[in-house]
Amino acid sequence: MADALRFESPVTRSHPAGESGGLTLTDSSATVKWLVRAFDEGPAAACLQTPFGSSRQDPSGALVLGSRPGEWILLGAQDAVARVVESLQGFGSGDFVTAVEWTHGRAMFRVSGRHAPRALEKVCSLDWSDPMTPDGAVTSASVAKVICDIARDDCRGTLSYLVLCDRSFGQYVFDALIDAGREFGLTVVPAGLSFSDTQDTVG
Amino acid sequence: MLLVPCPNCGPRNSADLRYGGESHARPDPATASPHEWRAYLYLRHNPAGWLRETWYCRSGCRRWFALERNTATNEFRDPPLPGDKRGGAA
Repeated sequence: MADALRFESPVTRSHPAGESGGLTLTDSSATVKWLVRAFDEGPAAACLQTPFGSSRQDPSGALVLGSRPGEWILLGAQDAVARVVESLQGFGSGDFVTAVEWTHGRAMFRVSGRHAPRALEKVCSLDWSDPMTPDGAVTSASVAKVICDIARDDCRGTLSYLVLCDRSFGQYVFDALIDAGREFGLTVVPAGLSFSDTQDTVG
Repeated sequence: MLLVPCPNCGPRNSADLRYGGESHARPDPATASPHEWRAYLYLRHNPAGWLRETWYCRSGCRRWFALERNTATNEFRDPPLPGDKRGGAA
């Protein structure tokens, strides 16, 4: 794996923060991200053990998202993600696997707190109730007209959603989420934090 | 709002999908006559009733799928369930 470049968040403007504790928006774009594509019923898929629409915490610590049929997103610390990627090597026969480093190409935000579903409902047409999107659910949908991958990743019992979009839309989606959350007393943490750092900001 | 049952993502707002038009078999290039090619390329049945059509789930699974819709009532007939491979053949 190549040395990590110095990360610059796509979010350069922020807004005053409330202090209600019911909703927090964190820029976690600095999280290491990889995109893996493979045949959705091949050996690589069996190795990842994460069907479309679900997520799994790998023993290495990386979060594996089944973002689309035959497509996975790996999130987490550099070493943890690297171990998952290395485990995919060696499927040369019968499966074609591609793994692309995505850290600088995708923005990622964490929306957390008890008001998070209500804030997301304002910019996304999906049903964010527990039966439809339980903890671990992964989906793709339009957020403020931008196609995003969304994963529910509760932290210590607090509702939490990861929203990933193309880097070029990062500032726009960040602003749209702030607009959606303003009425819920949103707290904003625009720091370009890593994955573990953003988990610490929840709750 | 029209809810389209994607076989992978479940019911989605039609604004999140792209309409691909009528679904019909492509003629064999080796044997098709010019008349058959013209019919394939330019002619549509456009019924006021049941029609098999293709959709592209652009904001969800990014897959094409086919299903039957009543163009008069916007009702879907026997929609594929999530994970159902029938919808994959557009």
